[in-house]
Amino acid sequence: MTEQHDSYLVFLKRDCPTCVLVEPALRELESAGKILQVWSQDDPEFPGSLTAVGDDRELEQSYHWQVETVPTVIRLRGDKEVERTEGWDRAAWLNLFGTQQLAEDLPGFRPGCGSLSVQPGVAEELALRYGTSSLQARRIEIAELEDPLEACYARGWSDGLPVVPPTELRVIRMLAGTHREPAEIVGLIPPDLQPCSIEKIAINAVMAGCKPEYLPVVIAAVEAALIDEFCMHGLLATTWFSSPMIIVNGPITKAIGMNSGGNALGQGNRANATIGRALQLVIRNVGGGKPGGVDRATLGNPGKYTFCFAEDESEQRWQSVAQQRGFESQQSTVTLFAADGVQGIADQKSREPESLCRSLAASLLGVGHRKFAMLSDAFIVLCPEHLRVFTNAGWSKQQVLDRLFELTTRSGAELINGVDGIAEGMPEFVKDMQLAKFKPNGLNIVCAGGTAGLFSAIVPGWLASGDMGSSPVTKEIV
Amino acid sequence: MDLESRGIPGGYILTEEFREADLAQARALGFSANKVFVEHPIQDRTDAEMALIAERAFAEVVAMIVTPE
Repeated sequence: MTEQHDSYLVFLKRDCPTCVLVEPALRELESAGKILQVWSQDDPEFPGSLTAVGDDRELEQSYHWQVETVPTVIRLRGDKEVERTEGWDRAAWLNLFGTQQLAEDLPGFRPGCGSLSVQPGVAEELALRYGTSSLQARRIEIAELEDPLEACYARGWSDGLPVVPPTELRVIRMLAGTHREPAEIVGLIPPDLQPCSIEKIAINAVMAGCKPEYLPVVIAAVEAALIDEFCMHGLLATTWFSSPMIIVNGPITKAIGMNSGGNALGQGNRANATIGRALQLVIRNVGGGKPGGVDRATLGNPGKYTFCFAEDESEQRWQSVAQQRGFESQQSTVTLFAADGVQGIADQKSREPESLCRSLAASLLGVGHRKFAMLSDAFIVLCPEHLRVFTNAGWSKQQVLDRLFELTTRSGAELINGVDGIAEGMPEFVKDMQLAKFKPNGLNIVCAGGTAGLFSAIVPGWLASGDMGSSPVTKEIV
Repeated sequence: MDLESRGIPGGYILTEEFREADLAQARALGFSANKVFVEHPIQDRTDAEMALIAERAFAEVVAMIVTPE
């Protein structure tokens, strides 16, 4: 119930037609003795016909009162809010002001406009300026003449490319991309086994160049990397080439503009590039995993900067990687694979599945070493024109995988040490065995690529696969 | 670390090439385990050569696991 000594806060901006519309109503209320404090977000001269108009161009009052729409009218008793209304709704205003009649010339209802205090990017800036920051990371002051980019290099935070300096404002904006609490610990990052909070992930996502909407994908990727089966610690320490490759599935890929098409494994897409990089920076900057330290790679591979892409799920007849791993098409997921670089496979002649399988199998035998068996896993990145060969013939993904498994199974006698004049190979005791190139489920297919070009790719994996090393892992993005 | 916490003497053997990696890992974990370094490389050595390397390291390895801290 409205009482005589209630007062009212009114938030307006000149740029809002509804705010302009309600000026006569406010004048009428002021004339009737209502105690109004008007705050103007963009022009302290507006509305000119009222007596108590405050300048809120700094948006401090709007932030304090959590104004989302203008006009907003808040009824106060003392300094406590009792109720509020947004936009122009005569019935609501009558009720709020406890009056029987108001601005009869105006239409009954007009929606308001967005408050300047909740514009993209502004809300976080206001939170930093007027709120209480909950960030726990220590603040690092740099000298005025110091270049922030160079300061990041000097402190060892870079993978070799420039990083975006993680200012408090940027980190707060990044954290707006997730509903998870900044202080939540997702796990211990190897090799230093340092606790990693959502805030730490956000800091590294900023440094990698991510947009806030990518953050849930980065968080899921970090969580996936910490699943025991992935063996991130060993993967980091190995002398082999591998590092995490991230495949993203589900609706989020389109929502954040990821590339699953032409040049999917290459440069040019911000989400692909920065999500993969953010995971690497978390390993580096939180876990302390750096080349020359625990990272002992003999050569490494370019994917250690970033290796992330979306799967092309447009072919409904084939299961996606995520579906194969037990997730629904409406779930968004990341799948991590301990990957080397990319080995191209050209086959511009095969129009039948059997021929194409034989062609792919011939290239797959080279993974790790042609005379190795049951060591590395591998992913085939199947291009659309190769996929078409299989789907036109009605072959499922599992049929292709089964046939590739058969075609890459060989006699141990071909593979043992010394055969073909090559000292490298499998041990003597396998010579009477039939050896599959890959462990069961060790070979996978993911679809991606441009619509022109009969070129697929093999992404070989770490020599230490399965229980002895790393297995692919999948984590839902929430 | 796990073995030692259960009262089982432990340690590891690594080649000289991994001295830096050992230091980095020890720094990372705040823990320097017992270890014996042997010559590098070992991956392309014959069984006979490996046996020789093992023989040379044997006394040090035994000492590593029987010497009280």
